[in-house]
Amino acid sequence: MTDTLFYVFAAITLISALLMVVSPNAVNGAICMIICFVTTAALFVLLEAYFLAVIQVLVYAGAVMVLFLFIIMLLDVNKDTSDLLKDKMTLGASITGFTLLVILTLSVFAGGQHLPETALLPVMENPTGEGVGIPFTTSAKSFGYSLFTKYMLPFQVTGFLLLAAMIGVIVVSKKHSENS
Amino acid sequence: MNELLIEFLGGFTKTNQWSTILPEIMLGVLALALLGAEMALPKNKQTLIPRLAIWGQVIVLLFVIACIGWCNVGESEYFSGLIIQNDMTQIMRAFFLVSSIVVCYFGQIYLSKQSLPKTEFYALVLIIAAAMMLLVQSANFVMLFVALETVTVAFYVLVAYSRSSQFSLESGLKYLILGALSSGILLFGIVLLYGIAGSPELMGSSRDSLNYNELANFITLNTNNPIGVDNMIVKIGALLVVAGICFKIGAVPFQIWVPDVYQGAPTPVTAYLAVASKAAGFIVLIQLLHGPFISLKEFLVPVLSVIAVATILFGNVAAVTQRNVKRLMGLSGIAHAGYLLVGVIASLYVPWAVYAVIFYLVTYLLASFAVFGVMSLAADADDANQELDHYENFARKRPFLGGILVCGLGSLAGIPPLGGFIGKLFLFVAAFQAGLYGLLGISVLGVVISIYYYFAWIRECYFSAPSSAVVEDASGGTTLGDRILLGALIVATVVIGLLPAALPIIR
Repeated sequence: MTDTLFYVFAAITLISALLMVVSPNAVNGAICMIICFVTTAALFVLLEAYFLAVIQVLVYAGAVMVLFLFIIMLLDVNKDTSDLLKDKMTLGASITGFTLLVILTLSVFAGGQHLPETALLPVMENPTGEGVGIPFTTSAKSFGYSLFTKYMLPFQVTGFLLLAAMIGVIVVSKKHSENS
Repeated sequence: MNELLIEFLGGFTKTNQWSTILPEIMLGVLALALLGAEMALPKNKQTLIPRLAIWGQVIVLLFVIACIGWCNVGESEYFSGLIIQNDMTQIMRAFFLVSSIVVCYFGQIYLSKQSLPKTEFYALVLIIAAAMMLLVQSANFVMLFVALETVTVAFYVLVAYSRSSQFSLESGLKYLILGALSSGILLFGIVLLYGIAGSPELMGSSRDSLNYNELANFITLNTNNPIGVDNMIVKIGALLVVAGICFKIGAVPFQIWVPDVYQGAPTPVTAYLAVASKAAGFIVLIQLLHGPFISLKEFLVPVLSVIAVATILFGNVAAVTQRNVKRLMGLSGIAHAGYLLVGVIASLYVPWAVYAVIFYLVTYLLASFAVFGVMSLAADADDANQELDHYENFARKRPFLGGILVCGLGSLAGIPPLGGFIGKLFLFVAAFQAGLYGLLGISVLGVVISIYYYFAWIRECYFSAPSSAVVEDASGGTTLGDRILLGALIVATVVIGLLPAALPIIR
């Protein structure tokens, strides 16, 4: 069952990724990208990384894609449907991408036996090294434990980071009216 | 299980002593209070906001100075090792507060000439100050990155703050793209270090491998040990982290953004970038080189030496032909970053060189702020295009500002009675003691070149042909506050130059 699901989702991911790259229409490309993100999230679920799957859907398929669609609509990219391999840039990018793909395939299939095959060590979320520690899981709870104890300070500072970004958006985008 | 869990998690929170970062919290609260005050206050009372920002920071500054005086922190660790406080970080806290107070004051001058939102400027300056104070105290890459991003994101906004000016928007965009690139480089380096030091198969691996101390142990074990693994990944990671920091301090080859951003940004923001942001970068670099990367000294020193030489030569040579004063300050700032890098390299051999670097940063703060203050006051509404020609006969038109400008430039050039000379002297003595003769020679050469362009500016002020009618510039006079602040900066420069011991960092 899990295997079948994996193959189904992996196939959809690959096909939609390919369609996204070759699609001449930018909006279609963006939709294919969303499908690719969602099926990747499904693969995360199969790996029992539920938290990562949720984040993938929320952040990538949600926020990032909405941004992309906005930009596509605002800039109206649709008009100039360019030929593939038209310019040297596309050619160079394709060659580089293809080379990387070959290297990856070779290293996975040919170089695989050289990698040391070790059993995964049991990982405990216990950075202090004292006491019992709690088992590390991929559930959202585990992230919450660290976030609200050990990493409380960076977590709070991140709040100010977002505040600064928000103020920035308002300052730069809003027209200031001097009515004093 | 539940009690066990709570007890375990309580172990982390035990060291979360929020009172130790009270100044930062006060600044954050003050920033929020300013935003609230803008909504609450009626239109005719809005001028209270800059005063609230400045005097609030003065109170925090007094608090920090009292802390330095009363409680000797030594070296203490808080927040499960995320924060380490020592003498240096306490001094730097005061340093950042002084710079943010001065920047708020210049911001007030600048914003009075522009039709721009006012309150947000002060709120962002305060957030940056708090984040920089945390940045120099961080002892963990998570804390480092979060604090650094807070500083950088707020700076993106401040650089593009003058939204009606094309220069400002252009420089904001450039800073955003290049800053994001440098953050990416830095993060990539951090991730490589995290991954390799967290690998349980390697000697000395740690579950908390982003902690400076743990990482230092790991790197030392795997570098000085003959059976240690090939630490290529560690070297690449360290190199990428150093490259990310070099972007922030504007060292060659990551200096491309400096002239454009310095020119386009509002002058107070340029001053903030030039002084505080650069200082934060140097302190972080010192902490990294003395902390996690101490065992990579043989590998990093040649790299940094090449960067320092290129930085000094590029900054000085490029500044010679520059006519725009903001770009000139940017390029000369690159050169100063080069001298400071020499000091950082020297500090790996001579421990007291760390204090020479801080001393230099203080003299640089005083002199740069004096010059930028004059630039803020001299600029009209369009402040990106300040050419050297605008300073023709400047000293005759505005004698007080002319005098301040000459003292500030003299200190930057390193003319004897002023603080900048002593700062350079300490750096060069440190470099000499460390045996860095080549770097020392290049630095002296750089200083000689720098005198040319600093004095070209002074000549423009004092000795240009009095052909144009000398009229008192009635448009922007100086208020008593301007005179007190700029005068205080220059008096401090002179006092430090005559009595270096007046600055408590030199023992």
